[in-house]
Amino acid sequence: MRTFSSRRTKAVVSSLIVAGFFSVFIYSFELMQKNAVNLSGWILLALALVLTLFNARKKLTYPPLIKSSIWLQFHVYIGWLALLIFFFHTQWQIPNGPLESVLYIIFMLLALSGILGVFVTRILPKQLASRGSEVIYERIPMFVRQLREQAEQLVLESVGYNNSTILSLFYQQSLESYLSGPSGLTAKIIRRDQEYLQLQSELKALHRYLTEEECDIADQLSAIVETKDDLDFHYVRQGVLKYWLFVHIPLTYSMLLFALVHLVLVQAFSIGLS
Amino acid sequence: MAGETKENQAQSGTLSTLDKPKRWDLPFSQDLPNEAERRDLTETELDRLLQSKPFSAMDLDKFPKSLAVRDILRNDTRIRKYRSGDAVVSAGDYGNSAFLILEGDCRAIIEGLDQSALGRTERKRHSVMGSLIKIFNNPKLPEVRDAQHYPQMDNKKLQAGASGNRPGISTVFVQDVPNVLELSPDAFDATKNNVMPQGSLFGELSALGRVQRSVTVVAADPTTTLLEIRWQGLRDLMKYDTALREHVNELFRSHGLQGALQASPILAAADLTQAQWDQVIAEAEFETYGSYDWYGSFQQIRGESVDPLSQEPIIAKEGHYPNGLVLIRAGFGRLSEKNGDFEQTFGYVGKGNVYGLEELLHNVDVAEALPLQSTLRAAGYTDIVRISTKTFEDLIYPGLEAARQRGELSVSFLGEQIKRRSERRVKIDINPTQPEMKADFDPSMMEFLVENRLMNGTETMMIDLDRCTRCDDCVRACASGHDNNPRFVRHGQIHGHYMIANACMHCEDPVCMIGCPTGAIHRTEGEGKGEVVINDLTCIGCGSCANSCPYENIRMVNVRDQSNQSAVMVDPVNARSIVKATKCDLCVDHHGGPACERACPHDALKRVDMNDIDLLSDWFNR
Repeated sequence: MRTFSSRRTKAVVSSLIVAGFFSVFIYSFELMQKNAVNLSGWILLALALVLTLFNARKKLTYPPLIKSSIWLQFHVYIGWLALLIFFFHTQWQIPNGPLESVLYIIFMLLALSGILGVFVTRILPKQLASRGSEVIYERIPMFVRQLREQAEQLVLESVGYNNSTILSLFYQQSLESYLSGPSGLTAKIIRRDQEYLQLQSELKALHRYLTEEECDIADQLSAIVETKDDLDFHYVRQGVLKYWLFVHIPLTYSMLLFALVHLVLVQAFSIGLS
Repeated sequence: MAGETKENQAQSGTLSTLDKPKRWDLPFSQDLPNEAERRDLTETELDRLLQSKPFSAMDLDKFPKSLAVRDILRNDTRIRKYRSGDAVVSAGDYGNSAFLILEGDCRAIIEGLDQSALGRTERKRHSVMGSLIKIFNNPKLPEVRDAQHYPQMDNKKLQAGASGNRPGISTVFVQDVPNVLELSPDAFDATKNNVMPQGSLFGELSALGRVQRSVTVVAADPTTTLLEIRWQGLRDLMKYDTALREHVNELFRSHGLQGALQASPILAAADLTQAQWDQVIAEAEFETYGSYDWYGSFQQIRGESVDPLSQEPIIAKEGHYPNGLVLIRAGFGRLSEKNGDFEQTFGYVGKGNVYGLEELLHNVDVAEALPLQSTLRAAGYTDIVRISTKTFEDLIYPGLEAARQRGELSVSFLGEQIKRRSERRVKIDINPTQPEMKADFDPSMMEFLVENRLMNGTETMMIDLDRCTRCDDCVRACASGHDNNPRFVRHGQIHGHYMIANACMHCEDPVCMIGCPTGAIHRTEGEGKGEVVINDLTCIGCGSCANSCPYENIRMVNVRDQSNQSAVMVDPVNARSIVKATKCDLCVDHHGGPACERACPHDALKRVDMNDIDLLSDWFNR
């Protein structure tokens, strides 16, 4: 049986061997007093192009290319390798030229976004699967709107019982804004936000002022708040899963652009010097 | 002929007009890959058919005007000519039609024919370059079709072969014909065949049962002429003609029984003589449990709080004396065992599986018989063959034992059979050398799969929600190859962290095919693996398949006209949009297999064959 852990072990061991090979190769260049920086630069450019091809593979769905999941495995481990080569290339120092500094920052941000991507794509799906029902990201605003309408209906119903305005006031003052859209998204990445807890607590406290029918409605409102909290939970996590690529991919193309300028300048200067 | 062409003169705004497709817009005689073979039946041929059996014996008045026998013959049949040695049907293929021998005779080759002799036609797929170009050429709007290809525009212009759904299978020539066609077993005793004379009907078993052809049939006369009947036509003929219905039922039972027994690995391993086979066949009982169109009641009770076990007829009950070996011929059976006051589902059996083998093996020559260790119920619809305990002990067991002693049967064979073909789980210690074999995943998952009849799927789309990042790469990949509209919804029933997405499962028993009036929804033949696909040209948008699918995996879509700025096509008579059924086709027209699975970067999505419990267990335990 092929498990993820055995695959991971094989990939890590293979990557370490390849990384060791490249390290020795570059180091031996240095020992021979050849231009090791130039060598590591070319290797890095080649790796960067291979890494970028993953995005192209995603667009080419029908030509019988290698499975996307295998591409991703290569992408992740080649990414780590590229980071190592990058440090060789920069000689473990922060550059001082303006162009090189920008390129350095972009590359580091790109690497960090990639590492972040690996972690979020492994951690957040489990969290999503463990809470609330499965919901498509684009439909969440529609479901929230439905919840708001449902809550409004319930509150109107409560007024009809004995002209009591306790729940309607509560809705106006607290619930309406909560149900008007996503809320407490940043807080929801880590834990349940304060507003949710506050609302549930207030609804519970209201019970002693309510009739039996109104208590039922308060319970239903409480369930709506719970569902809204779950939707927010999914909204923020699915959002992170979707939008981290909006950071990673522009950084990739920026990096390639700056790397090209860097390459042209390096070549121009090397020709000029010779 | 129904569905005469009307040019769409009236065009307004974003609408394009097209006659509403009807059942017989594309007669069966025109639905052939080889253009040279396409020709309508002449009136003389129809007259001759109506004067010959079995049509001459039919009471034509019993048929409604809209389904007159003449019209059925005209539109649901075609006349095919074969040379001696041409394969009419090939064992293992899925078939959607039956054959009546009009002239000459045919041979059913029961065994011994080298499969390579049959040849398989290469499926027409998009080229790699074609796939690349399609990415850039895809229309912006979804479901844009070339309306010029629809039969109601001009039947004669139709390029049925261009649909890519019906690869040619008709003229495969079987090598070494004289040898194969010997009446008795040939000189080298290599093949066994049955003669089928003029007037015989064959192929009805797989056509009506939605199962693979069990034998290869070859033409045995230089000018063999057959009437090929689309199964929808055969069904209608049977509906209104009692004699034909009884005749087909009899053929169905006898052929089904014989084929099922001979295909069973357990019985094959016993290496019975022909006389013993005859005895087994004569004494075997053929039983049917549940309803053939089980999906209706299933859909009904699914929404209600009814104990599903109470709706499923018991085939054999736990604790009872094992009165025979049960072989599943078609459909599925639920296996359950008592757990306190309740019954817990722990497995299922499908086509080709056996039930009761462990107990029968245990009970041979033992004074105290072991009762059945589990209950078998019909999960929807189950066709079984029951071989009595006496027949098993007298004929099959000695054969198995002799084979084992001769060293022809490995010691582990029966255990392997139990593992692969039976209950997937051995509880009783019949053979201590055999390790206990279990479906190695959460029992509640097994309950979930059986409860929802998901074991029917051979290509079920399972998504591991613990790994799925909801990126929708699978959805986009699917849409890019299917008219800009994904053929599945990333949504569905969830158990634990696994989702069964709403994608066609390419069921073992595709009940969606039952109601289709034109045969548009069919299994692929020839090179195909029997994938259930829809021929867009012959789909009339009646929605029968979508309504029948118990898993809600078929969707009706409005189609657009490529030649009219992608306008929605509308029937000018009632101003309703033209709809077509769409579903996952497993990317049969593309290279590389289902794009959804290949596009998933996180190994979250897999197409799973529910009959392969080992593979399923491995996937659950990654």
